[in-house]
Amino acid sequence: MDLMAVKVWEENAVPKHRIQWCPGCGDFGVLAALKQALVELEITPHELVLVGGIGCSGNIRNYLNGNAFHGTHGGPLAYGLGIKMANPHLQVICLAGDGDTFAIGVENFVHICRRDPDMVLLVMNNGVYGLTKGQDSPTAGLGQAVEVWSEEHPPMVDPVLLALASGATFVAQSFSGDVKHTARMIVEAFQHPGFAFINDFSPCVTYNKFNTYEWFREHVEFVPPDHDPSDKDAAWRLVQDFARRGKVPLGVIYRNPRPRTETRRLPIWETELADVDVEPILATFR
Amino acid sequence: MSGRAKRVKILVGGVQLRDGVSTVTEILGRIFTRAGLFAVAMERGYASTIYGAHQYDPILVTDSPPLSYGDPVYDVLVALEYDSNPDAAEQPNRDTVLRHSPFLRDEGILLYDSSTGEIPTDSLRARGVKVFPVPARKIALTELKREIVKNVVMTGALFRALDFDGDFTHLRQLLEERFGRKGRDVVDLNLRAAQRGREVVEQVLAEQGYTLEVRLEPRPSGRRAVYISGNDCLGIGAIQGGVRFYAGYPITPASGILEFMERWLPRYGGRVLQGQNERESIRAAIGASLAGVRAMVGSSGPGISLKVEEFGVIGATETPVIIVDAQRAGPSTGMPTRPEQGDLNLVIGGAHGDIPRIVLAPSTVEECYTLMLEACELADKYQCPVFFLTDLNLSEGRKTVLEDLFAQRPPIRRHGILREEEVRGRPYRRYEVTPSGISPRILPGTPGVVFKSSGVEHDEFGFVTIDPRKRAAQMDKRMQKLETYLREDAKPPYVFGETRGNPVMVGWGNTRPVLQEAREILLQRGIRVALVHFTHVYPLPKHLVEPLFADAGPVVVVEQNYSGQFADLLQRELLIRTRRVLKYNGVPLYPTEVADAVQRALHQEGAVVRIGSSAPVKVEVGGDGSDGR
Repeated sequence: MDLMAVKVWEENAVPKHRIQWCPGCGDFGVLAALKQALVELEITPHELVLVGGIGCSGNIRNYLNGNAFHGTHGGPLAYGLGIKMANPHLQVICLAGDGDTFAIGVENFVHICRRDPDMVLLVMNNGVYGLTKGQDSPTAGLGQAVEVWSEEHPPMVDPVLLALASGATFVAQSFSGDVKHTARMIVEAFQHPGFAFINDFSPCVTYNKFNTYEWFREHVEFVPPDHDPSDKDAAWRLVQDFARRGKVPLGVIYRNPRPRTETRRLPIWETELADVDVEPILATFR
Repeated sequence: MSGRAKRVKILVGGVQLRDGVSTVTEILGRIFTRAGLFAVAMERGYASTIYGAHQYDPILVTDSPPLSYGDPVYDVLVALEYDSNPDAAEQPNRDTVLRHSPFLRDEGILLYDSSTGEIPTDSLRARGVKVFPVPARKIALTELKREIVKNVVMTGALFRALDFDGDFTHLRQLLEERFGRKGRDVVDLNLRAAQRGREVVEQVLAEQGYTLEVRLEPRPSGRRAVYISGNDCLGIGAIQGGVRFYAGYPITPASGILEFMERWLPRYGGRVLQGQNERESIRAAIGASLAGVRAMVGSSGPGISLKVEEFGVIGATETPVIIVDAQRAGPSTGMPTRPEQGDLNLVIGGAHGDIPRIVLAPSTVEECYTLMLEACELADKYQCPVFFLTDLNLSEGRKTVLEDLFAQRPPIRRHGILREEEVRGRPYRRYEVTPSGISPRILPGTPGVVFKSSGVEHDEFGFVTIDPRKRAAQMDKRMQKLETYLREDAKPPYVFGETRGNPVMVGWGNTRPVLQEAREILLQRGIRVALVHFTHVYPLPKHLVEPLFADAGPVVVVEQNYSGQFADLLQRELLIRTRRVLKYNGVPLYPTEVADAVQRALHQEGAVVRIGSSAPVKVEVGGDGSDGR
């Protein structure tokens, strides 16, 4: 890896020593992977828009170079949608947590999977609301054997199944403890023409004492090389097969781009907006 | 005595969807407009169902531009109802006659569909009303074999009753444009239908010996005009103002904007998003705006409530978005098809914390266009939410608008966007503290430079901070934009008459035409009242307004909500006491009732006159009950 090229991604960003994540936070791995991937993809910072969610993970937008936006809890995908609809030449990546994406923002997640804008969503999934001190998120309970459920403590949402059911065209899973593989997934996500979702397991070392690095190392397993990611049935089978065996699949689980209409950057500048003729509109009101 | 009518007010009523009330008034509005007359159909009477409710569309026709749609007194009533079961003892479908004939003036005209039998009209005849039973549906079904032409039968009948378009020149032209492509037969069938309607009226005239006193005459002026709604006008304004991204979620009465934009914006290179919910709409608009496109959303009260969260994002991240609120009667779902001015507090106060914002409220269909051009510039310049408050009647109501209006178009200026050459090689601070409070932005994709934009409190670079000095500096900077706006762009209210020493009526937004007409009535009654009317509602241009009220008589604020939301704002900003005339029963304000209510309010300090309420006059607790201020 070209270290000088990685350095570019540290400009216009919060200095490393001021990063406010707990030591050992999984998000460090995501940050490292992101930089590697961006170097490999030869994306320049000015053409990149990082849309951060609310929570520890969303802070990543300020920890590397590139344009950044940050609004409401649950909002990143919809902001990203607007950015991408306005200017398809931009590279857009939404960086959010599991609470942001699957609780307060699930309305966006479901429909963005259908809309399929050409952007990336990387969820740093740790099963907890870290920034508010560890409440359960909708993905809480991964790998835990619970026999009785209640309204207060329902079974977890499986992000991969939700994405498949919602019509996503690219679904991958990674573990931030494996930076190289996570970077690989980010590269493939950016290369996918359409909405690319990566569910990244990013351990919360402070509030999730169950799904630790050790737990993940014992339970993750790469998607077998003979898996055909373009086959949706195969994707469902793969997820179910892994679940039965108590394993968590890493890799591209589903990838099947949809034909897309070409779009262009919308008119922005004075010259593009001048000399508008509204006569055809008026004609319909006479 | 026969003569040319200067002014005819017609009400067309029927069963919603089934009877095609709007089809008839749409034809009337277009034809009167083409004939050089002025049609105003601003009072929309429909229900929040698709089928079956009573629907009515009043339409005023005048030979010179009218002030308002006038009082609910009709010269002509057109009842399209028929009874699907003529044998039923109860005849349920006579709502137009039952509900509106008390408002038909003596000697007026009633046309009703008599296909399923005649209805008792003795009491109307006793008032000199000329009654025309027209079996329009029967003619359409039995003679013309097409039920759909029943409304054209009635239109032909109405034209005869108004002595208008005797040779169907105008109707023929409209039919040819509309149905010409479907073939000659369709046009001929419709003309035959109109002719049959005409004949029925002729026959009644002969039988009853009626003479018609009004003759509506075309007044060709050579000036082109359109028959258009506020929603459509603001859509044209937005397109001319450079908006190229629109997002909305279906909601009455803002859906018309979504439909307009879906039809037209792509032809001007823009995109339209029907959001999956109100929040996706506004968030996508924020994203599009961030990418540099002028972006707009539209909704009504319930949807605006859902968007409130994003007002703060827009304010804090300084990403311009135009937010149209086509108000309807609240609270909650309220009355979706009824007008109200009840969202002022929501748009001036919605969002936690303080943000800069600008609230504009057009007072006519024409201003939906002109003020929208202004909204586009203001949002861009001040990088803050710009609210555009219309209401149900202004949104969906239609009127004749001279096309000269649309030639008024100042050139678009993109404000405060730095280009590559202006920023290259220099440190860029997205939230630089400037004297105006406006920090120039860059668009993502500008080579060699990036921005960090955030709804979390941030420093000049956009990085998160809780440093007290930086926080205060950013808050001061953002709110400074309002001072800059007041100095550079705020507009004074309309002022009619002399406020000094006289009682002053105050209004805002869509009520101006009615208030102007109410003022005329009061002047005729010898009450020298002035009218001050706001379209630039917030922040209130205090420096421009204070002198108007310095030596004024009693101030009566007239608005369509329960509490007097604008009156509260005025009191708070100017430290004056106001009296209030309020209406919130879902019916628009009418000139005479406003004049009466203002007159009552002038009698007593602290008076709150509630039009249509069971307790019409209330004196505020704390009012001393004395006359004068």
